[in-house]
Amino acid sequence: MAVDMELEAVLRPPECPQAHYPAKVITLANSKRMVVREVTRDDVPTLLKAVHPTLFIDKDYYNVVGARIYSELLAWQYYRVQNEFCLVGQIDGIMVGMVNSRMYTAETGMSLHTLAIDRGLRVGAHLFAAKMEHHIEYLGQDEVLIVAESPIGFRRWMIEYGLEPTTIPHELGGAPSYRLTRELYFASKARLVVGDRPVPEELMALAEKEIVVADEAMIREKIVGLRGR
Amino acid sequence: MRDVAIIGVGMIPFGRRDQDSLVDMLAYASLKALDDAQLGDKAVDAVYVANMGGGILQHQTAIASALVDRLSLLPAAADTVENGPASGASAVKNGVLAVASGYYDVVLVAGGEKMREVSGWRATDFVATLTHPEVEYPYGITLPGMAGMFTRLYMEKYGLTREMLTAVAIKNQTVGTLNPYAHVTMAITKEGILESPHSVVNNPIIADPLHLYDACPISDGAAAVLLCPLEMAKKLTKHTPVVIAGFGQATDTHTLQEREDPTDLKAVTLAAQQAFTMAGIGPEDIDVAELHDAFTILEVAESEHVGFFKKGEGGKAALAGRTKLGGEIPINVSGGLKARGHPVGATGVAQVVDITWQLRHELPEGRQVLGATYGLTVNFGGFGNNVLSLILKRSA
Amino acid sequence: MSEIKITGYKCKACGRVHYPKHEQCLTCKGRDFEPLTPDGNARLLAYTQIFNLPWGFDERFLIIGVGEFENGIKAMGQIKADSLDKIKTGMELKPSWEPVRHQYGEPVYGLKFKPLE
Ligand SMILES: CC(C)(COP(=O)(O)OP(=O)(O)OC[C@H]1O[C@@H](n2cnc3c(N)ncnc32)[C@H](O)[C@@H]1OP(=O)(O)O)[C@@H](O)C(=O)NCCC(=O)NCCS
Ligand SMILES: [Zn+2]
Repeated sequence: MAVDMELEAVLRPPECPQAHYPAKVITLANSKRMVVREVTRDDVPTLLKAVHPTLFIDKDYYNVVGARIYSELLAWQYYRVQNEFCLVGQIDGIMVGMVNSRMYTAETGMSLHTLAIDRGLRVGAHLFAAKMEHHIEYLGQDEVLIVAESPIGFRRWMIEYGLEPTTIPHELGGAPSYRLTRELYFASKARLVVGDRPVPEELMALAEKEIVVADEAMIREKIVGLRGR
Repeated sequence: MRDVAIIGVGMIPFGRRDQDSLVDMLAYASLKALDDAQLGDKAVDAVYVANMGGGILQHQTAIASALVDRLSLLPAAADTVENGPASGASAVKNGVLAVASGYYDVVLVAGGEKMREVSGWRATDFVATLTHPEVEYPYGITLPGMAGMFTRLYMEKYGLTREMLTAVAIKNQTVGTLNPYAHVTMAITKEGILESPHSVVNNPIIADPLHLYDACPISDGAAAVLLCPLEMAKKLTKHTPVVIAGFGQATDTHTLQEREDPTDLKAVTLAAQQAFTMAGIGPEDIDVAELHDAFTILEVAESEHVGFFKKGEGGKAALAGRTKLGGEIPINVSGGLKARGHPVGATGVAQVVDITWQLRHELPEGRQVLGATYGLTVNFGGFGNNVLSLILKRSA
Repeated sequence: MSEIKITGYKCKACGRVHYPKHEQCLTCKGRDFEPLTPDGNARLLAYTQIFNLPWGFDERFLIIGVGEFENGIKAMGQIKADSLDKIKTGMELKPSWEPVRHQYGEPVYGLKFKPLE
């Protein structure tokens, strides 16, 4: 449908300037190289394909997280959310996970979600770390507000980063926010945030050429199969 | 005493079996063992079930009664054996004694555990209940923590290194990719878990100096074996009978701190010695071993304590590839607990199943130890306070 | 009087010190014991830093070790430190009796060790 740009000017949120996340490459436990990079609104339809199977996975809160990401991505694509960003992890071009988040104000980040499609390689831990890295180091924010929607998330984020509990409501409407401050971030950085820059050209070219999405059955199996951990 | 043979074995893939209850898993593994044995109209006289956590994790007790009913093996005698992470081998030992004594002819031994039903915190707490309730448990000590303290002592005493432990992890996870029953089927590399600066995130410390890939995963699973007198087995089974040539079991102090030398796993040494004496062989006669590598350090320490290597040499041997398939003593060609997983009650039985396949020469290339005649298992309970060792022999 | 509420048991026949309690001596099966309370500081025998804690703990990690008191009692306790950087086998520890965890909302008291220097 044609977009009425005059009306859009009213409906679209104003955005503050937002720095770009420089891509990095991480060596995983099996020596595979995962490229972590920022994607754009144009990539949303592809990301939705990867998220879709999770909507029906009633395990480890994948459906809850998946459905929310799905809507957040659509809102981003259609300019209905302010200052969202999205990072993806790709191995050999294949999408293995993603994170999204947004700038709530220039100083405060609002962490949205982390979704690992390939499990057992700590893909989620690496991607969450990249998200925090972007908020603090590239967007230059002072703090990030975070809530966990699953026990695994709680263990990975609240406990591993030693986040501060607060009484600040989180935009996702769940439990009160935990806060990552610049200080906490730099205190844990050596232990939790890794990656090499720049990404070698061929690797980057492969990642940018296409975000390959495994078929639904394969994604389901990776998440909930016998060996899904 | 009669010679006791294994006439049927069965296992279900280990992992996260959300769909199955504890008794479901035990029943599926048992049916596989019964089918494998082709018992005909011979009745099962007794059932021994190894399980550590039904009472805590599933709020279910008397698991053996539930299983005989589920399998309609009534009125067979049925006992549940709870002996911590060594429950599996304990149940096998009890089954062997029952047949050897002449009291029962056909005995089913099944081991199972369902640990993924609860969160990691709860599973860790459940396993920690085997520690001393007053002088250990309240402090938050865990099994990985016990293993961590032990590892540091071993490093200080023998110069064991992280590189040696990593070699064990890589060996077991690599061969585990070929095991259809294994929980973890992902190969790992030295670069990814030790050498790359990114390994700090890939392979974080879980209990210093042990890292994630030094530990077994938390799994669901079950395994079963069917025992009968060797003479009966020769008539019944199409398989080459595998006999229990020896077994041993020993205990040690409940707490690590009361051992005169905490790096000395006396119960492992004694259990293995008893088994060797009974079988009339020595460590050099063993062709393949399944050791209890809940942590990489345990594979190393057990390989020394059973007598494959001198004290302090096990780590070097692993690093040099001497414990790989094709090496002088292939250890954990199944992938061990590291890759197969460690549903605690199932483990000791699963080790016997894997060794039986080895001795029947049924495994595919890449996992079969060619011409294997003798196999040994170590099932390690507590932190070495209750240990069993079994020796199996191909009877031909 | 020690504030550390631990009782060790010294075998009257052979002198072996036990903690926790056994009904018979581990060495000679003797049944007569002299109760002992921990004396002075302790020496660190073994330690670890645990990151995957069981249910019931909110900390990111715990440092746990076994100390040996001057009169031979060996006991596990939590070590008060932020990291393992300054922890070494054989170092001196100052014991105290403090809450080590909470159960059902109540503090559970136990042994803590403060590394000296
Ligand atoms: C090692 C251990 C602490 C990991 O706990 P955890 O971090 O809660 O485990 P999780 O299930 O969250 O898994 C963490 C990640 O590592 C993987 N993983 C966990 N344990 C693993 C193992 N031993 N080997 C390979 N991969 C493993 C998981 O797939 C997961 O990957 P993801 O982050 O991409 O999802 C836990 O498995 C453990 O305590 N093992 C020992 C059990 C024990 O003590 N048994 C009794 C001994 S007698
Ligand atoms: Zn005595």
